[in-house]
Amino acid sequence: MMKRYLTFLLLTLYIYNMRAQERIIVLDEGMWQADNGRISYFENGSITSNQWFRDKNGMKIGDTPNDIIQVNENLIAIAVNWSNIVQFIRPDGTAVAATEDIPNNRRLCSDGNYVYVTSYGHECETIYGTRYFEKGFVAKIDVSNFKVVATCEVGYEPEGIALYEGRLFIANTGGYAPEEQDHDFETTVSIVNAATMTLERNVDTGISNLFGEMSQSGRYLCINSPGDYYDIPPCGLIFDCEKALKGEECFVVFNYPVTYNTTTLDGRFFAIGSAFSYITGEYVFSCLTIEPWTVLKTRGRQGLVQTLPGTMASDFANMSQPYGIYVNPYTGYIYGTDAGSFEGAGYLFQWSPQGQLLGQHKVYVNPGHFLALPPDGHQDGIADTGSSQIANHPSAFDLQGRPVSNNGQLKKGTIYIKDGKKTLFGR
Amino acid sequence: MTHYYLQAILAIVLALAVTAGASAQNPDPQASQLPTAGERTDSIKQLHEVTVAAKQPVRTIATSQTLSGADLQALSTTSVADALKYFSGVQIKDYGGLGGLKTINVRSLGAQHVGVYVDGIRLTNAQNGTVDLGKFSLSSMESVSLYNANKLDNCQSASEYASGATVYLQTKRPTSDSLSVQLRNASFFTWMAKLNAQFNWKGWQGFVDGEYCSSRGDYPFRYHSQYEDTVGHRANSDIRYVRAEAALFRGGFSSHVYYYGSERGCPGGIVRRLSDKYTNVGREWDRDFFVQASYKEHFLKWLVFKANAKYANEYLRYNTKYPENQNTARVDNHFRQQDAYGALCVSFLPWSWLSLSSSYDIRYSILRADLKRFDDVKRVDQKLVFAAQMNWHDIQAAVSALHQRYSDWTFVQAGAADPLDRWTPAVSLAYTLYGVTLRGWYKEIFRAPTLNDLYYTQAGNRNLKPEYTKQFNIGLEYHWISRNNSMANGQWAVDIQADVYWNRIENRIVCLPMKGTYTWSMMNYGETFCRGLNATLKGHYRTGQWNFSLLNSITWQRDVDRTDPSDEDMYDKPICYSPAFSTGLTAIAGWRTLQFTTSYLYVGERMWSKADPEDILEPYHNIDMKLSYTHNIKKTSLGLCLEVCDVLDIQYEHIPRYPMPGRNYKLTLSFGI
Repeated sequence: MMKRYLTFLLLTLYIYNMRAQERIIVLDEGMWQADNGRISYFENGSITSNQWFRDKNGMKIGDTPNDIIQVNENLIAIAVNWSNIVQFIRPDGTAVAATEDIPNNRRLCSDGNYVYVTSYGHECETIYGTRYFEKGFVAKIDVSNFKVVATCEVGYEPEGIALYEGRLFIANTGGYAPEEQDHDFETTVSIVNAATMTLERNVDTGISNLFGEMSQSGRYLCINSPGDYYDIPPCGLIFDCEKALKGEECFVVFNYPVTYNTTTLDGRFFAIGSAFSYITGEYVFSCLTIEPWTVLKTRGRQGLVQTLPGTMASDFANMSQPYGIYVNPYTGYIYGTDAGSFEGAGYLFQWSPQGQLLGQHKVYVNPGHFLALPPDGHQDGIADTGSSQIANHPSAFDLQGRPVSNNGQLKKGTIYIKDGKKTLFGR
Repeated sequence: MTHYYLQAILAIVLALAVTAGASAQNPDPQASQLPTAGERTDSIKQLHEVTVAAKQPVRTIATSQTLSGADLQALSTTSVADALKYFSGVQIKDYGGLGGLKTINVRSLGAQHVGVYVDGIRLTNAQNGTVDLGKFSLSSMESVSLYNANKLDNCQSASEYASGATVYLQTKRPTSDSLSVQLRNASFFTWMAKLNAQFNWKGWQGFVDGEYCSSRGDYPFRYHSQYEDTVGHRANSDIRYVRAEAALFRGGFSSHVYYYGSERGCPGGIVRRLSDKYTNVGREWDRDFFVQASYKEHFLKWLVFKANAKYANEYLRYNTKYPENQNTARVDNHFRQQDAYGALCVSFLPWSWLSLSSSYDIRYSILRADLKRFDDVKRVDQKLVFAAQMNWHDIQAAVSALHQRYSDWTFVQAGAADPLDRWTPAVSLAYTLYGVTLRGWYKEIFRAPTLNDLYYTQAGNRNLKPEYTKQFNIGLEYHWISRNNSMANGQWAVDIQADVYWNRIENRIVCLPMKGTYTWSMMNYGETFCRGLNATLKGHYRTGQWNFSLLNSITWQRDVDRTDPSDEDMYDKPICYSPAFSTGLTAIAGWRTLQFTTSYLYVGERMWSKADPEDILEPYHNIDMKLSYTHNIKKTSLGLCLEVCDVLDIQYEHIPRYPMPGRNYKLTLSFGI
């Protein structure tokens, strides 16, 4: 009997330990102009705080936090849209710096030393003075001094941004087109040299309004288009950055929206989407698992499966207002959010990597953006120093959670994640 | 349905023809009973009509509150909204400052269920369905009344039955010739000048009232909590407006012309910012104009006829093309609305204790806007009511059936909404015993989706259903006036009323994102249930040259969500912005022409989101004081008035992050002949 109890206890401890590997920061957007954006912190299978930023800093994060990324070992960046603030925090939640030089900021990406921010605004404060733009722009923040060191004008209302091979890939939306008289929806992906911050090329996809979440899996981007909500139906795109840099045909369009999407551990995309039309007032809900390389190879005839692992598809379909999806790049655990009625608290759902629903947790208003922290609980806990065996490892990622597939991409002295552990590439 | 309305119109027109013929042969027999027989009959009839209204026996059947005459003038008010906040059951939504949108919500029905009427004709806004009460001044008003459900006069237009609650603004009918000028200086660089001229000449009465005001509106505010200590001055909160009104009355005829033009800043919510560099600048220009006329006539002993007509023209420009605005789309939109309205009402009084009435209203609205993907929208709104009222011994009863039909025409891409066709009933019953009236009523009414709800670019939903309300009320009312006629020994008057109520709103029209998209759209979503108690107490005492008044109102209510029983976080939880308890107390003391008023308002805690118990608007106490003195020299008068609002400098808000001004002062100098 004693043996059985001991086994049970050990098993419980093991499970507890496994779950403790999950550390997720969730941005709750709050309500527009109510200054009630918040951060929820999920650990050990439960929400430990729904006001994590307030707890750590004694102040509010601001109005409508819209994106969050890990910049490097010690730094996380958060775009707080309506507050016009890019807030920098340490992984323990304490604030480091904040800048309002980039008004109406939207989405972020980083190479560890610089943070690149898309903005719907028309001016930006840089170390060289104020820069003005007719359309939208991308700003480059140097995290050594949190100043904007360069900008580049792209399309109207640029949204998603990703970094690949030293180039920034920016999905332009023209999202203000329904209200503004002087432009229509955008159809381009802008390619910007991250080092020089110059626009190299606009890839015209022919697809309007590339708005929504944009996920990256190595060379592949998953881009959403909600259409114009009237005549042009929504759709999704798989974009190949590698081919785009070579000037080859680089994207495939398919007839499913991918409103919220995320990258899986094996480099695919999970997406949920809704096709909505103001003409009919109706929507069609869909779930997708996307294998980007197959989609590109077969021109979209294969590689799209209308399913998600386990019970995820039905769980999302039963939500009041799905508002986000995310896969923990360290562990493969899956997360989704339900914004509920937008007046009350939203919920965070957690699934196992196989899609088994593990629980749902009350968070705050409009939870929609996620960042996983390393599972071992130590930001600086590098398990393997100087490894040379990173590229093409089935579970190797950079700190932004992108699979690492090519040795040529790797930089010496940079930390990658291999088998869920931080690894320094050096040898 | 067209035939149906044609028949209704024909019936009413036929009745009018009969009554007109009868009137020509039979002058009003009561006219000869009045001493002013030498005057023209129409003016005599008017006097008679006023007398009847004063004794209106069915008045107590309606749940109503009125502020009029001296009580109204004694309050510290700049607009109609300021007066209404002292009524029981009223919640004010105010975005702060002189230019902030001010709407009222009665018994938690929502602002769009409150009809606002000037001399019995509704102020409408087909575009958004709400009336900004900040645009209406009290200086030309005789009284402000709030009726829950129906007013219940015996000759009402169908529109007057068509809202959940009704606010009546009764224009002042001058009794003498006068001219007055007012100058005001108030806090936050506010200047105002007002001119009022009145005349009463050979049975004609009229007035012209004009006002110009300019305010910088940069009031200070402070947010102090565990997580912030924000201080600042409200930016982009300035306003300049001009208001001009004129009215003309004669007997049963009344008319009113109104113009309001303004330019104002539209400040956003106070959110975390690192500096004041980027304010969300938007500016708004309004030009509202209406002209209306009403004619009411009694024929024989048993027929009353009323006709209303109105034309309204509203223009609104909203511009966000400013460098300080980096956060929203840059637009310069223009909206133009026109409204033509006509109503015919006939009331038949077969016995002195019974009245049967019918009214047909038609309103034609057109909305033009230079929004993308928008086209002109035209709406014809027809209403027909059949009503009966009885006042037999101590029993009073009223019943009405209202039919509404809305038809829209537009070339917006989604197409026009299907016509809306509904009957809704209302029934009231009252019994008076030993001076105490016990009453009960039930009313069903809906609000039709507004043109914005249905057609606004990137939000409108043509498939919306109307938002339904069902109200049930039981109350009692008691009036007492001292029989002592000697002013030296003092005269007392006391009014007490209390009502308990239940109401339910179904198919609420709200703006929500459709499932799984970022796209917001109007939807029918949700159901609420509210129960509460409204009570008012009024006491007046006069002795010699002193007079004292005490006005008290109390509201207790529980307003809960009944949308989804499986949603534990929301179901049966309080509705946002709905306080459980609020009360107002006003004390007025006057000696000759010196008057001192203190008003106290308490509004309890309100949730503004259901996500966290911390998401509350703190309760607030608001004390206003007003001291005025008028010095009369022969026919001229010179007045001075000092008002201190929010004496305790309480920082409060109606909408989260939209602070209200703290303590502020107004000094008014007036001169009249």
